Amino acid sequence: MTRIYDHYELPEEKERLHLRAVRLEWATIAVFVVTIALMAVTLGQSQAMKAAWTEDFLSLVPPIAFLVADRLRDRGPNERFPYGYHRSVAIGFLAAALALLALGGYILADSLTRLVTGERPPIGLVEIAGWQVWLGWPMIAVLAVTAVPAVVLGRMKIRLARELRDKVLYADAEMNRADWMTSGAAILGVLGIGAGLWWADAVAAAVISADIVRDGLRTTRTAVTNLMDSRPTPATGHGTDPVPEKLVGIARTEPWVLDAWVRLREEGHVLVGEVLVVPRPDTEGITGRLERLGARLRESDWRVHDIVVAPVARIERQ
Amino acid sequence: MTRAPGPHVAPFRHESGAQAWARVIVVTLLLLATFAEFAARNPWPDDSEGTLDRVRGGVLRVGVTGSPPWTRVADDGSVSGVEPVLVRRLAEELDARVRWSSGSESDLMASLHAGGLDLVAGGLGDTGTWQGMAALTTPYTTTRAVVGVPAPMAGEEVSGTRVAVRADTAEEARLREEGGIAVPYTGPAPPPGEPAVVGEWMLGPLGLRDSGVELSRSDHVMAVRMGENAWLATVEGYLLDVPDEELRRLLVEAEGAGR
Repeated sequence: MTRIYDHYELPEEKERLHLRAVRLEWATIAVFVVTIALMAVTLGQSQAMKAAWTEDFLSLVPPIAFLVADRLRDRGPNERFPYGYHRSVAIGFLAAALALLALGGYILADSLTRLVTGERPPIGLVEIAGWQVWLGWPMIAVLAVTAVPAVVLGRMKIRLARELRDKVLYADAEMNRADWMTSGAAILGVLGIGAGLWWADAVAAAVISADIVRDGLRTTRTAVTNLMDSRPTPATGHGTDPVPEKLVGIARTEPWVLDAWVRLREEGHVLVGEVLVVPRPDTEGITGRLERLGARLRESDWRVHDIVVAPVARIERQ
Repeated sequence: MTRAPGPHVAPFRHESGAQAWARVIVVTLLLLATFAEFAARNPWPDDSEGTLDRVRGGVLRVGVTGSPPWTRVADDGSVSGVEPVLVRRLAEELDARVRWSSGSESDLMASLHAGGLDLVAGGLGDTGTWQGMAALTTPYTTTRAVVGVPAPMAGEEVSGTRVAVRADTAEEARLREEGGIAVPYTGPAPPPGEPAVVGEWMLGPLGLRDSGVELSRSDHVMAVRMGENAWLATVEGYLLDVPDEELRRLLVEAEGAGR
């Protein structure tokens, strides 16, 4: 028996982790909103402020993409969306990856422009409660304080992302890494400016942003190839996912199966595809066997969802 | 970066933590070393072109544009007003001689940007107009233009009242918006004994009271060359230390000189 409008549910243990990820993403949004407000107070309407805002708004994209996809991903299939809504996760991943790439590209272009035009950033004094303080010190303090949550959140997310094979979460962890590295670069830049090295800020930002661009390119490539129905890949784009081989192996252990071939794609957090099997000519009760094999394949890995098992006379491999 | 070889490697292969850390640490150490070396030998913050060093005991090149009572440039080129007084005092502290040049604000800023001037004074407000061209000091004072009235009067009563206001100013336009009847004047001072829009420092000398109607507010700054942060901090520190009463006195004096 096959239910057409089948609902996907995470295993209980993974579901708990997923709920933690959802809470983590809400926390991220809260942290960034507070950060944006804090920056507005310290930096005023300066050019640096505008750059920091652009970065923070981009950093909000992955958590928002995650939470939107979370609303959709487990809706059951229906007449209009017969494959369900799992791909919303893949779209969220692309959005997050593009935000990461845009962040890196923005900082890189900005820092190179500043280097080429020889822009010398002014950082003077500020009066705080009657005390004259070099504005660089409060700036460094704010940068350091706002980097801490990015480090902590990023580390928590990368662990969860590995457990859940959740690429949106992974891209968001990369975004947080980009955030704290950018803050670190900005701290060095401010110190450099204090030392009279006008180029320090731009150079530090350029070095870090090159790293972010590379990261963004890699993640975007993975997101696009996933949407192109490539075979399942890890979020980094490096290495291969072992599940397809595992499914072929299982199919071949069935005594009535002569040959088997599998084709899997990622629909966000689930793996979907077809398994072709060549049954022995004398096999009896073929329909029941195929269904039992389908069930076995689905149970073999928690990410495997819609698997169509089709009997064929011969599999031609080129 | 090694590529994940087989299918049984963790699917989420991230750039190894150790590698990322090593990069961050190397960059940090390099810059910290440079930083420590500079901090030990130089003032903090330091200039990128050494303006403060050059000005100290030398010549302070100041660009000035007329904006009474803050700055005034006479036909013979002599410079007066509140800000020139402050600049001369600062120069004295630094044992420097002031060389004035006057021009339009945009010419002065262009010169400042190129390094032809060290300081621009011209009754500048902290409006962000010169972002990317010049470094503005932190505001050293905030002034307000208010409706002064001869006798106590509540703010809302300004509407429908005849108020003297310098012709063709932003305040004149705003006064009309507030419902006041603007009586424009062009002389150096409003007619005595009548409601008038004045800088708050002139309320006392003109025998007026603050009606509570504020028509404008501005944060006053001077401009220095970008990246000259030791010099910027010196100018800012000096300006912030000028007591408010002293500024008020200089303003009244400058208004008197214009009359």
